[in-house]
Amino acid sequence: MIVVVSGLPRSGTSLMMQMQEAGGLPVLTDNKRKADVHNPRGYYEYETVKRLASDNTWLPEAEGTAVKIVSLLLYELPDDLDYHVIFMRRRLAEVLRSQHRMLAAQSMDGPDDDAMRQHFERHLTELGQWAAVKQNIHWLDVDFQEVITTPSPISQRISQFLGLQLDEQSMAASVHPLLHRQVVEHNNGP
Amino acid sequence: MFGPRIKIDRGLLASLTKASRIAGYATVDEFITHVLERAAAECERAESEDEVRKRLQGLGYMD
Repeated sequence: MIVVVSGLPRSGTSLMMQMQEAGGLPVLTDNKRKADVHNPRGYYEYETVKRLASDNTWLPEAEGTAVKIVSLLLYELPDDLDYHVIFMRRRLAEVLRSQHRMLAAQSMDGPDDDAMRQHFERHLTELGQWAAVKQNIHWLDVDFQEVITTPSPISQRISQFLGLQLDEQSMAASVHPLLHRQVVEHNNGP
Repeated sequence: MFGPRIKIDRGLLASLTKASRIAGYATVDEFITHVLERAAAECERAESEDEVRKRLQGLGYMD
C-alpha cells in the first residue's frame, strides 16, 4: 500500500505528512525544498513527484510510505498499484489567500480569485468523480480545520482508514498549537 | 420559447437532423443543444485544468 497525501497547494498537505511521520509511518521526502516562512516545519516533498507524468518508475519505492502528490498529478498514478489517498480539504478562500502570499514575490498573471475558485471547484469535482470509479484508489477526505481544532479524532480516523496501528497520540500532538490559535482567531475575527 | 437563434449551413442542418434521428433525439434542436452543451463543458474543463496546472507550476508543485 502506498499512502498518498494530496490536495490543492496550501490545503494542509505538509501538515498531514508531518502527522504521518509522527504516527510512525515512513515518509518519502528528499528535503530539497527547504522549510520557509510559508511552511516553517518543511514541505515534505519528493522532487521526483513533480515529474510523475513522464516518469513513474520510482513509485514502487513509495510502497509502505506516505508521499505527497499534488491533486492534479493524481491522474498520473498507474493502475497497477494500490493507493490510500488522504485528501486535504480547505476552504477555497483560505487556499487562495495562502497561495497569494506564496506568489507575492512573483508575477500574478492569470485569473482573478473568483475565476480561480471556479477552476479549482471544477477540478476538485472532476477529480472526485474520477477517483470514485478507480478500483485501486481508497479515498479519505480530511478537513483542514478539523485537523487543527480536533486532531485526536482525525488521527484515529486516519489510522482506521489506513488499517495501521499508528501512534495517534503523537499524530495529534504534532499539530502545532500555534496553528490552532491562528484558525480560532481567524474564525472569531472581523 | 424562442431564445437567441444561430445560423448554420443548410447542408449541416440536414446532416444534424439525420444524426439526431439516429441518436434517438425527439428534435434536432434538442440534439444540437445537447451537443453544444457537451462541447462547452469540455472547453471549460480544459480551461480549468490548464489554469490549475499553471497555478500549481507557479507554486512549484509541478514541472
